[in-house]
Amino acid sequence: MEQTKQEIKSQGRVPLAADGVMFDIRDLNLYYGDFHALKDISMEILSQKVTAFIGPSGCGKSTLLRCLNRMNDLVENCRIEGNIKLGKKDIYDDKAIDVVHLRTEVGMVFQNPNPFPMSIYDNVVYGLRCQGIKDKALLDHVVETSLKQAALWDEVKDDLAKNGTKLSGGQQQRLCIARAIALQPSVILMDEPTSALDPIATGKIEELMESLKENYTIIIVTHSMNQAARISDNTAFFYLGELIEYNETGKVFSNPDNPRTEAYITGRFG
Amino acid sequence: MPEQEKNFNVRDKIDMSRIKRRERTDKIFKTIFLIAGILSALMIILIFIFVGGKGIKPFLPGYEFGQQNLGKFLTGMTWRSDQNPPVYGAAFIVVNTLISAFLASVVSFPISVLTALFIVKIAPKKLRGFFTTVVELLAAIPSVVYGVFAAGKITKMVNSMAQHFGLTTHGGLSQLTVSILLAIMIFPTITSMAINAIAAVDKNLELGSLALGASKTQTNFKVVLSAAKSGIFAGLILGLGRAFGEATAVSMVAGNSMTGPTWNLFDITRTLTSTMLSGLKETSGLDYDIRFSVGIVLMIIVLITNFSIQLIKRSIGGVSHE
Repeated sequence: MEQTKQEIKSQGRVPLAADGVMFDIRDLNLYYGDFHALKDISMEILSQKVTAFIGPSGCGKSTLLRCLNRMNDLVENCRIEGNIKLGKKDIYDDKAIDVVHLRTEVGMVFQNPNPFPMSIYDNVVYGLRCQGIKDKALLDHVVETSLKQAALWDEVKDDLAKNGTKLSGGQQQRLCIARAIALQPSVILMDEPTSALDPIATGKIEELMESLKENYTIIIVTHSMNQAARISDNTAFFYLGELIEYNETGKVFSNPDNPRTEAYITGRFG
Repeated sequence: MPEQEKNFNVRDKIDMSRIKRRERTDKIFKTIFLIAGILSALMIILIFIFVGGKGIKPFLPGYEFGQQNLGKFLTGMTWRSDQNPPVYGAAFIVVNTLISAFLASVVSFPISVLTALFIVKIAPKKLRGFFTTVVELLAAIPSVVYGVFAAGKITKMVNSMAQHFGLTTHGGLSQLTVSILLAIMIFPTITSMAINAIAAVDKNLELGSLALGASKTQTNFKVVLSAAKSGIFAGLILGLGRAFGEATAVSMVAGNSMTGPTWNLFDITRTLTSTMLSGLKETSGLDYDIRFSVGIVLMIIVLITNFSIQLIKRSIGGVSHE
């Protein structure tokens, strides 16, 4: 474990622009066709912290998340204005950054576990193999360390040839996390990673996030106020495509500046 | 005021006798479905019994046209119904049939899968509907039309190809012509099955792959195809079934050789189906009954092939590390 952390720290990580700022989002507007989904979003997301995006369905939080690894590129009629910097690079400037490379640096875990229909081993090294990495010793090492970091190793180490789709829901989601961290990214985006899981599996994933934030910047979209309060350092509240409030989690939950934030987190609307 | 007299209590409207009646209807329909199921299963069993019974008869003692030797039938390399006594050896026909079906699928399978991938994942949305319609139309063309096309066009092509190599053909009737014809005929079958299989792949898998920094092409080949594997192989089984079973069009270009197997692709050939079909109406007695024996052989080959493809399917893709 110790060795792994060292390795990751020594990786060529994203050079941060300002002190501790991983993503610098400026005047971001996003349209799906005529629909104005994100309105003038400006925020800084801090490195090695867990940042939670909260807000009612349709508020734009998942959309913003998908801007950060450019998954919105795949949506037809999606238009983006403004800019997002990862470290010093504008991720929407195709001269400065390559989308495929960006996605190796900014990993993503989806709402529904989506392991590939192949062995656990092949799932974990998928991203590496796509980059042409074939060194068996390296792949073996990454499989072990990634699964250990994702707290799945002990459950699957004797059967790495088992099909990833045969695991339980919670195990599948941890496999998806292992698959993302196998690429040793700087950021992991999590889009409601526990909403399809039972409370025990959810607990495991939350514990995992706690340990992962030492090495990774984590951004999580969640509908669970408790989850946001438990695991995040900073919380951003979105409503109708606008960033209403963004502050330290303790502050947002105990003494929010905006009455709409308070109404939402206390369950009076949304 | 009629509204006031009206009874708005829903519970009063729920009538026990009506519920009982619906339960009876359920039972009746269940029986109807069961009968339909039994009828279709019976149909298949009847065909097996009829073909099987008639096909085995020539090898049983006391057969009215003279008992045939099963061993010679299964290993024989000559088929001469014009001789007296006639010689019926089906082994070379089996080999010819396997060669043409195998060649056809070797050519058609990759093209079909790539076409399906193109239609579902790569082609612009507007073209997608057009291509799908074309493939479905191709599948709907009657085999005799393919046969006429093969007899009129592919034979000429094959003939000029043979001349190019300094070889001759029997007017283009050949093993190669049969294989090309079958490749064209099974293409829409495999493609449309592959289209359905690929379109059914969970979009989340693709997103997952792209989010890990895979390119579109890597995603299509590593994730989409492997997730669609089952449906694609079902398409191959259907395609091979058609390749083995196609009679009309194949008979039009096979040439019906009397000995074999045909290793030379430009030489005439004889398949199980063309053997069963050619001259069926003008014959009787042993020559008629023996076609049923060929039918049994054909059914067994199809069964073995399906079984082997299932085995192949299990061993490729999916779990593959080490």
